Amino acid sequence: MSQTNTATDAAPLPAIAVEGLSQRYGRTLALDNISLTVPTGSLFALIGPNGAGKSTLIDILCTIRAPLSGRALVAGLDVSRDPRGVRRRIGVIFQNSTLDTRLSVFDNLQFHARVHAMDRAERHERIDYMLDLVQLTEWRRSPVRALSAGMKRRLEIARGLLHDPEILFMDEPTVGLDPQSRANIWQYLAELRQRTGLTIVVTTHYIDEVGGADQVCVIDRGKILVHGTPAALKAAHGTTLLRLQPEGEDGRAAILSAHPDAIDTPDGTMLVRFASLPEAEGALAALRGRIGLATLEPPSLESVFLNLTGRALREEAPAPGRGKAQAGRGRK
Amino acid sequence: MTQDSPPIRRRPRPAPGGLRDMWDIACGVQTIWWREVKRSLTDRGQLIGGVSRPLLWVLILGVGLNPFFRGEVMGDVRFIVPYTYLQYIFPGVIVLNILYTSIQSAVSLIWDREFGFLREVLVSPLPRNFILLGKVLGGATTAVVHGLLVLAVARFANIQMGLADVGMAMALMFLLAFGMTSLGIVIANHVKGFEGFGVFSNALVLPLYFTSSSVFPLDPALTRAQTLVTYPRWLVALVEANPVTYAVDTMRGILIGFNQFPMALGWQITGAMAAGLFVFAMIEFRRL
Repeated sequence: MSQTNTATDAAPLPAIAVEGLSQRYGRTLALDNISLTVPTGSLFALIGPNGAGKSTLIDILCTIRAPLSGRALVAGLDVSRDPRGVRRRIGVIFQNSTLDTRLSVFDNLQFHARVHAMDRAERHERIDYMLDLVQLTEWRRSPVRALSAGMKRRLEIARGLLHDPEILFMDEPTVGLDPQSRANIWQYLAELRQRTGLTIVVTTHYIDEVGGADQVCVIDRGKILVHGTPAALKAAHGTTLLRLQPEGEDGRAAILSAHPDAIDTPDGTMLVRFASLPEAEGALAALRGRIGLATLEPPSLESVFLNLTGRALREEAPAPGRGKAQAGRGRK
Repeated sequence: MTQDSPPIRRRPRPAPGGLRDMWDIACGVQTIWWREVKRSLTDRGQLIGGVSRPLLWVLILGVGLNPFFRGEVMGDVRFIVPYTYLQYIFPGVIVLNILYTSIQSAVSLIWDREFGFLREVLVSPLPRNFILLGKVLGGATTAVVHGLLVLAVARFANIQMGLADVGMAMALMFLLAFGMTSLGIVIANHVKGFEGFGVFSNALVLPLYFTSSSVFPLDPALTRAQTLVTYPRWLVALVEANPVTYAVDTMRGILIGFNQFPMALGWQITGAMAAGLFVFAMIEFRRL
């Protein structure tokens, strides 16, 4: 349905094409010569720790910030030459809420529709539809400050999609939400994409959320580390992870002497990497008595990140969502 | 979720620079303008300030100093202003209200920046300069309303005006408010939080007001040499250098027919201020 802007059948225009993009803040290079393409209609996930350059990239693609060098085409339009054209075709959900909390739910949507030049009939039809989609119809007249965090997020999604964009950008859409709301939001997005053919670009540091993405791009310190489908990345870079809770300093020393490459995580556990499951099980047996709790994790995107950067992704996760993220992570 | 298919149809994208596009931009500016106006006019704090400030100035200072407003020294009348002090100070109080309200309205920019709403506006298809225009027009409109609050009690200060005078006064108020709101935006762009802005705006508004010849006249009957004898040189220089002086003077010309400078000068300087400060704000707004 959204493929109306494809130029030729042979080579459909990618939703986003980025070439050699760089940006710096002071002395730090926030983006270092980034190149990537996002096919139309795909769910594209950018993962990386905070400060990796994800938000900077999103800001450039949304025309809020100009790139230092390089070129970015969004919906076929150059972000530097035709920023208004780009902004007409994109919907954006920022990391931090951008709702006017003093206005009602309806008024927030109404404002958005009007600055996007939607006429009256279209405005009302779309607002009704979007409110229904995110299940906020009964809250239509409530001031936004009365909504819960999850409802605010849903309202932002409704607003981001109100003007029927071709590409939806979401910067950390699930930060600060409880696990149930997070799961709901991903479900909405999956259904939406199926129904509308929307291209979705999402950044997150909750690595377990992007398993359903068509493509994952791992970014750290302004550079793309790898780029591919989740399955391909896991196969190429994933390892079995053994998460251990050491019993005191002795336990920690024992783990370190057996596995010098073990990594400490902020929650007190230690991570050890293994090429295969049996190897990990053997190591676990050898450490019996020295550890409290042990968790075996099959190759995941998290282990991909760990192998590529030598750091656990959650180390640098922002404080508000972290406790919840771990509480909701029941993996064995 | 509803089961029936949504009404998805690609919206036509108007050609940039076309009539339809210009209409869309105008609607967007109007939307931003209306949000600003609605917000500040329903803000009780601002409204209370807008009413109590002029009341204090007119009732306490105006009425209190009224008997002393004759230039008599030891029985010799050195100069005569043919107006009461209440009449004299009244146009100045209107300008004071405009100054406060318009600079204060730029707080909405800080608010939008801190709470994120600014980004929502920046990713809309509106060009940045028009986003700024909507904001400045909104602040200026609120300020004019606060100026009119003062003007509404002109009768009690014994000021008679025709409809044309009210129109002229409103036009001048708007020009001044437009420039001052732009100035507020420039300041808001440079301060981090809300507190900083309050300090900054007070440090700016009060000196501008006091040196604008709003609370005391430079004697119109004296030659420049005599003025310089009566008043310290630095004060005369300050008053003459302050662009608000000319706005106050023209406002006084409109309301009570008393001028210390040519009427046209006030229009020109206030207009130039509005245009210049808006351009300044435009340059600042690009860096956001």
